[in-house]
Amino acid sequence: MMPLDELQRTAQASVLGGGPPPAVLERELAPPAAERWAIYVDAYRLRLVDALATQYPALASRLGRDQFDACARRFIAAQPSTHRSLRDYGSELPAFLLAGADTDEARMQSDLAAFEWRLAAAFDAPDASACTIAELAGLAPDEWPGLCFAAVPSLQRLSTRSNAVAVWREARQTLQRDPAAGPLAAPAAEYGATAHWLIVRPELDTEFRSLAAAEAAALDQLLAGASFAELCEQLSTSRDDAAVTAATWLKGWLTEGLLLRV
Amino acid sequence: MQSKEHSLGFGLGLRPAHYTAILDSQPAVDWFEVLTENYLVGGGRPLHYLDAIRARYPVVMHGVSMSIGSTEPLDLAYLDSVRELAHRCEPKWISDHLCWTGTAGHNLHDLLPLPYTQAALDHLAPRIAAVQERLGRPLVLENVSSYVSYTESAISEWEFLGELVRRTGCRLLLDINNVYVSSRNHGFDARAFIDGVPLEAVQQFHLAGHLDLGRHVIDTHDAPVCEAVWELYAYALNRFGEVATLLERDDHIPPLDELVAELERARTTARATLVRAA
Repeated sequence: MMPLDELQRTAQASVLGGGPPPAVLERELAPPAAERWAIYVDAYRLRLVDALATQYPALASRLGRDQFDACARRFIAAQPSTHRSLRDYGSELPAFLLAGADTDEARMQSDLAAFEWRLAAAFDAPDASACTIAELAGLAPDEWPGLCFAAVPSLQRLSTRSNAVAVWREARQTLQRDPAAGPLAAPAAEYGATAHWLIVRPELDTEFRSLAAAEAAALDQLLAGASFAELCEQLSTSRDDAAVTAATWLKGWLTEGLLLRV
Repeated sequence: MQSKEHSLGFGLGLRPAHYTAILDSQPAVDWFEVLTENYLVGGGRPLHYLDAIRARYPVVMHGVSMSIGSTEPLDLAYLDSVRELAHRCEPKWISDHLCWTGTAGHNLHDLLPLPYTQAALDHLAPRIAAVQERLGRPLVLENVSSYVSYTESAISEWEFLGELVRRTGCRLLLDINNVYVSSRNHGFDARAFIDGVPLEAVQQFHLAGHLDLGRHVIDTHDAPVCEAVWELYAYALNRFGEVATLLERDDHIPPLDELVAELERARTTARATLVRAA
């Protein structure tokens, strides 16, 4: 009798690698064991392709069904699932796409996937009560310099080097249209210019916006643990209105519900 | 025939496509079954709607990734997250499948059958006991649809289930559609399965649709329940009496009203069968 752990290792290797079915399958039934076993082999890939299409709907729309299916299957072959939930499968897809990218379109697709993964991460991140302007209103002046913050769990910072977000917007509109109306004209991929994004889910709805480079750098510095005084000091090396600018940005970030006080 | 006082009645699988319709229309559904893994997340919309629906309906948690039959160690972090979710939504019970879903750190995201052997029983019993200890409640295990069987199997699937109940005190989720699908795929008598399951252990029924390819049948949950499964459901009602019944749909999900109407057929089938049997 084949030990259970050997049976499972053999069967799993067959599903993952597409090899022959385990030798211990009942073979006298019809249809043949190989045909029956193929149901499991096929289902593994189909289920993961579906999971990726759910996580990356705009990428799937951009590529079209056949190309997305082929792309997903290459990824699945390279990256077997180790997750309990299908929700968590596919985080490595943006890096996988970038590693094989040799055109601006392919590099843009990696950005597009990264943007979608971050949207999904914000969607079901832990809820949190963000720090508000009102909470800081009562602070004594000498408490301000030492103020430190962390990101609310849903906050995602992302920098892209393409027009992936414009492509995402177009794909989303196409997905929401009556299929009979056909797709919208898809923007051509553009690659090279860096853009900065923040994604956050203040309540149930996920929001995002672009950030200018200076604001992005300041927010990143704050989220890396810098105090408000350190933020002002860093800003003062490049601008005269450092304190006013830092206060203005901080007010905006608090209004948007990005920060937790630490 | 048994009459179970604690049947939850007739429920639907909770799916995101129906969240707002459920809250807006508060349909005549006695309870909802929530897919455990869908709610093992930090927050946001999934848990918001789970809380809102739980405030109006009883729920049961139904998992797909416990992999109770795997030969890799139990995933205690996963079990603790299940326990934490149970603390949040206070399910009437927690179920998963009698199967393995992967080994050596991988997940095949499928419900693979086990050989029905003494060795498998010896492997499973302490794992079920450990899960029950960790979750602080009996585990409810579902029979899966299967497409292959093993030359090593020495007893029938229903005898295997019965022995697990005897050894561990676990409960059973009898999936009527899975009994039908497996009976077609393996050539056994579906009624023998129903007759062979321990009478008092059945906590819940599942009903669902499947894809009949002629040469074999695939458990797809993408269609209404077929006539043969309704007949088998009536047969099971005759044996087990009133048991909490759950209608599943995971693909080609129709509007909520359609599922509520299909669930009504389960209700009327149960009423007619149980009246005749009384």
